Amino acid sequence: MSRLRKFTALAWEILRELSDERAYRRHLERYNRPHSREEWHKFSDERLRARYARPKCC
Amino acid sequence: MAVLAAFCLAGIAMHRNEPINSSWLVIAAACTYATGYRFYAKFIAARVMTLNDKRATPAERLRDGHDFEPTNKWIVFGQHFAAIAGPGPLVGPVLAAQFGYLPGTLWIIIGATLGGAVQDFVILFASMRRDGKSLGQMAREEIGRVGGIIALLTVLVIMIILLAVVALVVVNALRDSPWGTFTIAATMPIAILMGVYLRYLRPGKVMECSVLGFILVMASIWGGRAVAQSATFAPVFTWTAIALATAIIVYGFLASALPVWILLAPRGYLSTFVKLGVVLLLGVAILFVRPDLQLPAFTRFIDGNGPIFAGKIFPFCFITIACGAVSGFHALISSGTTPKMIAREWHALPVGYGSMVLESFVAVMAMIAAGVLQPGVYFAVNSPAGVVGAAPAAAAATISSWGFPVTAADMSALARNVGEQTLFSRTGGAPSLALGMAHIFSQLGGSAVVGFWYHFAIMFEALFILTILDAGTRVGRFMLQDLLGHAFPKLGRTSWKPGIMITSAAVVGAWGYFLIQGVRDPLGGINSLWPLFGISNQLLAAIALCVATTILLKMHGAKFMWVTCGPLVWLVSATFAAAWQKIFSPIPAIGFLAQAERLEAALAGGQVADPSAARALIFNARLDAAVCAILLVLVAVILLDSLRVWVGVFRGTREARVNESPFVLSQLRPEEI
Repeated sequence: MSRLRKFTALAWEILRELSDERAYRRHLERYNRPHSREEWHKFSDERLRARYARPKCC
Repeated sequence: MAVLAAFCLAGIAMHRNEPINSSWLVIAAACTYATGYRFYAKFIAARVMTLNDKRATPAERLRDGHDFEPTNKWIVFGQHFAAIAGPGPLVGPVLAAQFGYLPGTLWIIIGATLGGAVQDFVILFASMRRDGKSLGQMAREEIGRVGGIIALLTVLVIMIILLAVVALVVVNALRDSPWGTFTIAATMPIAILMGVYLRYLRPGKVMECSVLGFILVMASIWGGRAVAQSATFAPVFTWTAIALATAIIVYGFLASALPVWILLAPRGYLSTFVKLGVVLLLGVAILFVRPDLQLPAFTRFIDGNGPIFAGKIFPFCFITIACGAVSGFHALISSGTTPKMIAREWHALPVGYGSMVLESFVAVMAMIAAGVLQPGVYFAVNSPAGVVGAAPAAAAATISSWGFPVTAADMSALARNVGEQTLFSRTGGAPSLALGMAHIFSQLGGSAVVGFWYHFAIMFEALFILTILDAGTRVGRFMLQDLLGHAFPKLGRTSWKPGIMITSAAVVGAWGYFLIQGVRDPLGGINSLWPLFGISNQLLAAIALCVATTILLKMHGAKFMWVTCGPLVWLVSATFAAAWQKIFSPIPAIGFLAQAERLEAALAGGQVADPSAARALIFNARLDAAVCAILLVLVAVILLDSLRVWVGVFRGTREARVNESPFVLSQLRPEEI
């Protein structure tokens, strides 16, 4: 049961990484700032700018 | 594991004249990958790369909370797999199935284990030891300036061809299909809604927003059936191939010029989740259903006269299936985000090697999905009208004469069953893959909704192909701005609006030209464009393997060169042979120049109904030959440049200096990963 729980938690974290939610949490922790719309815009704009400057695989 | 792998591979190789169960392919693939991972990949990790967990990775040394961040290995694995998995491993095997299931399956399994996964793994390792440098930067440092410039140019050319060919796959899947067109059209407002939701209503709630988007997309698939059955709305969403191609070109331009958060980002998130979900669903469905393959091990088209693309197994099978076996594009991902997230050096093993064998497994599943179709149906869907005839009865008669019986009535019933007007000549691989997937899914108890499953599969393929199209156009625009910025500094500024418009239009114009060429091609376009894409992708893999071989040579001398040199020799042989044949073969169905000559002779003899269309086809055939030749020359130059470096190292006239960042002891605690 605990293995299943661990696997589910890991799968959830993978999804959160893919959705940038983990990266956003790291961003807030790093700069010690609370979540706000402006902070999300700042984080998201920078991250998406970098992401969409790299080619996507075929 | 090894014995089981050998037994199953022998089983699928020797089985003839009756359907084989797909479990043979699944077990052969899984056991080969497991054996390759346990022995070959670990040997490379321990002896060739000498991975060392005490050495701090760039994620630790350069940690910035953004790009460089030590991350749990399975999370990096998921991120890397999602980044390398595109339409290639799904479409390539479906097209290569025209030779039968055996050649493609063997190439997918063996190619990935000994070539593709090794390339991804070595490049990831090299980038990780060089502070996360890109393939182009490593080529410049390890081989020379010429190598770096050629890597950049090759990537740009590949992007153009890739975008054209994937757009063509979408056009062929959606033409004259109101259900499919409505579903994909609906994803645009859904994405914009998601963008607004994420930006203003619930900032940062990407998962929540993606769930909402997914529900709306599923609703649009259900709604698509009603649209297709409506006398009012069906004509609105029934588009010709040219109209669809034009719409996709306009979409590509808008997506490249608009802010990312409006359309690209929400679609990107949604597409990633849908892609992973569908791959998982297909894997589970194949394991439960264990369908029999109807396609034979070999078809008569191993003689090179295939209707989907012309040419023999060697070299064409090996360039048609790229992403599922060896893909140069993966080297860009392995030297992109991933090396900046690896916490421990040994994590590169599951991430680099493991992700690629999983991608290869996706390709095996695509081969199974194509193989479960009756061969007659498979060829009816994938053969262009220019080869089998435009009238259903004529097409069915031609295909039946090849030894694959099918009737116009069968095809009509099948089309009705999935809610389409016709399934004849739906070239590009996507519709036949969707049919195969729908067939497998419906065995799980959903036969009443086979039409839903078909359009679900079409939506899944088109959604992430369009994601590649919009992101690729944007990246192409950045690359062009970067290149042109040296001559016209203003054009290089990514904030200058006219510059954005001009370069976006140039990139869209380039792939749009090839797309229109493919749409107008009487042979369906895939026959010309997919080999071009395969050749360019494999040539990029050759560049990556040149870089990898140079690095291994500098590390160990000639001792371990064979690890990357073996796949390099094979790829160069297959790709150069394919490119040579595509340019110079005297058979018009294969050689671009022969095709142009035949058309010219017909034009001169007055045997052409539409001279201006014939002249356009002649120009396009010569253009394709020129693109192929440019790619060949570029890669030949980098090969010769690499050889020059290798000979210098062997003779001792060149310093075998490894450009790795210095060793720093890792301070990372286990709880930090």
